[in-house]
Amino acid sequence: MSQTNPDKKRWLISQVELEAWLDGIASARTLIAPFQESGILLYRPVSKSAEIAWHGQTSMSVHINRPVLSVKEIFFPPTERLFTIQKTGQEIHLEETFPDWETVVFGVRPCDARGVKLLDALFLDTNPVDSFYARRRGNTTLIGLACQELGPTCFCTSVGGTPDNPRDMDIMLYETDGYYLVEAVSEKGRFLIPGGEWKETTASPQQTTYNRQFPVLDKKIWPEHFNDEYWLRISERCLSCRACAYVCPTCRCFAVRDEMVKPGEFERIRCWDSCAGENYRRVAGGHQPRAEKSDRLRNRIYCKFYYYPEQYGLGASTACTGCGRCLDVCPVGVDITEVLMDLEKPA
Amino acid sequence: MNENPMLPFLGKLVEVRDLAAEIKLFRVEMLNGGGEAFRTFQPGQFAFVSAFGLGEAPFGIANASGRGPAVDFAVARLGSVTTGLHELGEGDIVGVRGPLGNWFPMKKFKGKNLIVLGGGIGGAPLRPVIQHVLDHRSDFGRLTILWAARRPDLLVFTDEYAEWRTAPDTDLHLTVDIPDEKWSHNVGLITQLLEKISPPKENTVTITCGPPIMIHFVTKMLQEKMGFSPKNNYVTLEARMHCGMGKCGRCNLGEKLVCVDGPVFNMEEVGGLLETFL
Repeated sequence: MSQTNPDKKRWLISQVELEAWLDGIASARTLIAPFQESGILLYRPVSKSAEIAWHGQTSMSVHINRPVLSVKEIFFPPTERLFTIQKTGQEIHLEETFPDWETVVFGVRPCDARGVKLLDALFLDTNPVDSFYARRRGNTTLIGLACQELGPTCFCTSVGGTPDNPRDMDIMLYETDGYYLVEAVSEKGRFLIPGGEWKETTASPQQTTYNRQFPVLDKKIWPEHFNDEYWLRISERCLSCRACAYVCPTCRCFAVRDEMVKPGEFERIRCWDSCAGENYRRVAGGHQPRAEKSDRLRNRIYCKFYYYPEQYGLGASTACTGCGRCLDVCPVGVDITEVLMDLEKPA
Repeated sequence: MNENPMLPFLGKLVEVRDLAAEIKLFRVEMLNGGGEAFRTFQPGQFAFVSAFGLGEAPFGIANASGRGPAVDFAVARLGSVTTGLHELGEGDIVGVRGPLGNWFPMKKFKGKNLIVLGGGIGGAPLRPVIQHVLDHRSDFGRLTILWAARRPDLLVFTDEYAEWRTAPDTDLHLTVDIPDEKWSHNVGLITQLLEKISPPKENTVTITCGPPIMIHFVTKMLQEKMGFSPKNNYVTLEARMHCGMGKCGRCNLGEKLVCVDGPVFNMEEVGGLLETFL
């Protein structure tokens, strides 16, 4: 089912027009787009559209090869300074700095935009508001790009998404025969569109077809499976390496600690962390709940499908966007879609 | 409140003293905006205390709000932050973020008998409950305190036992696992002491804090052997946490978060989840 709105204003632009537009954006703001770095595709700041990892002349390499990391890191960086600490004798002085640059992200996939929406529920919509996330989010415009097909590990369609869903974007682009159909989704997005220069169209975007569907248990059913022996079995091969959480667009656990900059000067930082890690729950004194990796793997899966949605009022939504990155990176082939299928089977 | 909720208030250590072996009491006088934030707090709430340069860790607030403007924390020297705190002295500056979390529903406890069970440093967040009851003595029925530690030198707030013992309608029972030659009280686990006393369950609520395994066995005994309804058993839980505001994800107990849904829980709401905490 397409989520596109027939009343939305749309424009049809060429690759040349698209690049000129992005160049204009990059000259005034920070433009972040898919970029090849050390042989992998990542969202990185680019100074002009030519630096973007385009594929051929008219389409993007990202159409299946979505960036290795989601756009999460733009709003919630792997490491963030919360404040600096100056110590002079007994005197303590704390100083804060907030990010406040305007950013436009180009080439956002619907699964990743969904991920940002899910993080909003925690960082923006649940008090207290996270000041760092809020600043970045408020100053960022998301330009989406519809996926033309599902990638080999994609399963957004099983968790309430579609490959061409514009709902969580500010602007949505659909590739169509060498052209791009542009749709303004939000007010913020409308603001970025150069009104008169582009050719308006009444055409509707072509819907992406797909036929892959995995079963997701109703939230009410999850508690019944908590003590299943299954968790021991599926986690046997888990290495607790936390790669799944690192690439996940919605894993948001973080650790806070102080780092020394130079004698007398420190930074309190937060950095990504994951419940899959062995010492994640260990308290001073040595007590370690969730000591078994089966406890930890189960917690991560429950967080996606039960805990996080319950904690942050997501209703029937899951906290998994179906991007499939965890399937791509797991060194031992723990596959969340396999878990979903296994749970559906009668015990 | 600061725009950045991770920014602590500054506080000055006005008293630092030994409470037990490797456990110190830190009395903090809040500076600047912190005074207003900590003008009142409730028994059971917690706060993060920073040893600047090393980090911060959560501690149950160890005094009742009515007992003066300062905020007390009992800190066992266990990790890097607590070791850093132990190196500080009077006049030094710490960071304090809070008060955080929920609290014991003291209003709901009015007219009831209270059994307070504290194990080791787990007694610290229960001290405000005891202080509150003693400061509003006629609001509550009998107060029975069961206070335990591994060894006599690990018992906290020993200099206050006289006050507790002599308060009206108040009993204090002490036990240790490993006595020394001077020990004249009970020997054994707190569950053995509880069984020996067997306080009646009528019109009574229990409040427990200690190591997770102790909480598990105490609440099990209260419910299975002594007939308490889980809804009359309150516990306060500790968990590793890094934000205290429901963001960092670390302290979940099933779908609940210890930092914002707790740290005080009624056993009726967390009964089945407690096992994941052991």
